Amino acid sequence: MLDDLVRELVGDRAGEWDLAGELPEDVLEELGKRGLLCAQVPVEHGGLGMSSLANGEFTAFVGSLCSSLRSVMTSQGMAAWTIQRLADAPQRREFLPRLAAGARAAVAFSEPGAGSDLSGIGTRVRIEGDHAVLDGHKTWTTAAHYADLLLVVARHGDAGAVVVVPADAPGVTVERVADPLGCRAAGHAHLTFDDVRVPVSHVLAGGGQPLPMLVTTALAYGRMSVAWGCVGILRACLAAVTGHAAVREQFGTPLANHQLVAAHIADLLVAERTATLVCERASELWDAGSPESVVATVLAKHVGATRAAEAASTAVQVLASAGARDGHVVARAYRDAKLMEIIEGTNEISLLVLADHAMRASR
Amino acid sequence: MSAAQLSGQDVETEVTEFLRTKVKQTVAPDEDLFASGLVASMFAMELVVHLEQRYGVAILGSDLRLDNFRTVRAMGALVERLRGA
Repeated sequence: MLDDLVRELVGDRAGEWDLAGELPEDVLEELGKRGLLCAQVPVEHGGLGMSSLANGEFTAFVGSLCSSLRSVMTSQGMAAWTIQRLADAPQRREFLPRLAAGARAAVAFSEPGAGSDLSGIGTRVRIEGDHAVLDGHKTWTTAAHYADLLLVVARHGDAGAVVVVPADAPGVTVERVADPLGCRAAGHAHLTFDDVRVPVSHVLAGGGQPLPMLVTTALAYGRMSVAWGCVGILRACLAAVTGHAAVREQFGTPLANHQLVAAHIADLLVAERTATLVCERASELWDAGSPESVVATVLAKHVGATRAAEAASTAVQVLASAGARDGHVVARAYRDAKLMEIIEGTNEISLLVLADHAMRASR
Repeated sequence: MSAAQLSGQDVETEVTEFLRTKVKQTVAPDEDLFASGLVASMFAMELVVHLEQRYGVAILGSDLRLDNFRTVRAMGALVERLRGA
């Protein structure tokens, strides 16, 4: 039923959106007001209260149609999760119902001097009376172009803080990333905060949590969402490849009858099934409140991103001239999946986490 | 024993056992887990989720400070305070 709604809203327009670099406002508005951009927000906070597993399957479906739209969902869901975990009770009551009703939010981590290494974060917040004052730069903030609220990870004294900043507050500049490689309509932007003043109640729980804890908390949701988004990319590639291989004939027979092409098809199926199972497992652990969900989520993100990047390359190979133009589903997958190997923890950072876990388990 | 009946002392004993299974080492109640390098940020997250699941508490907002997870004793005190709330 939800899938039908999204299918109707997206239709066959994802290619156009990719070329234009813009999602239509009415699509974002429709999904936003139904709470579907952050469907995991608990019912008590005005959300749909979906489980991680149900939200994951929904995320994969949206991702199979349009990774840019799915990226906006990832950002919105991550913002909601960050508030749910890091805010105090009055802040949860203030902000979560707004997000569940369609106010859009993005989370700003990366900076010119800080990607995987958070110790480089230079954005600072300081308290002056009843106000929090923010100064600094953020890069590549997904969905910031569409956002009403920006959740900014900043230094606060010798610890960290997440500050909720209205995107139209004086001193905020949102500059779109020109021609991003992938998820071209996801509204990536560079942000500048120049003496931006917000009420002190916009600092989640007053701040003071360590930066690694803030970021690890926020990224937990982001990684799960990206992992399921990659399942969507894999499903889109598998559908495009099987559809093409069934009808395109070369040397007098459909492509699927050529064994080297058949191997590609099997590889795509293996990738899609593998990523799905790893994501399902991670979401089940998440829904059970198991501590194993922490590493399982990193594993799901890593398996999803790496398999999607490989599979999208394979899909372009099979479709060849039929898929080798911007806007085509496999061309989008090829560019979008590569970004999935970078965001919410690069492949390399994921591998370090997984290696650390393996070493710990072997002791 | 159900988590609700556990004393603060029992929580400390259980957390020590949980850590033993995870880091294969028995830690003293006041040992600084971060200073000793036993616990990094991903594992701190696991501790948060474990305490929430086992003791039916929600560790949110300003409670997500390293000092609350620095030692077994601190985690016991955190659980006790949140259960009393």
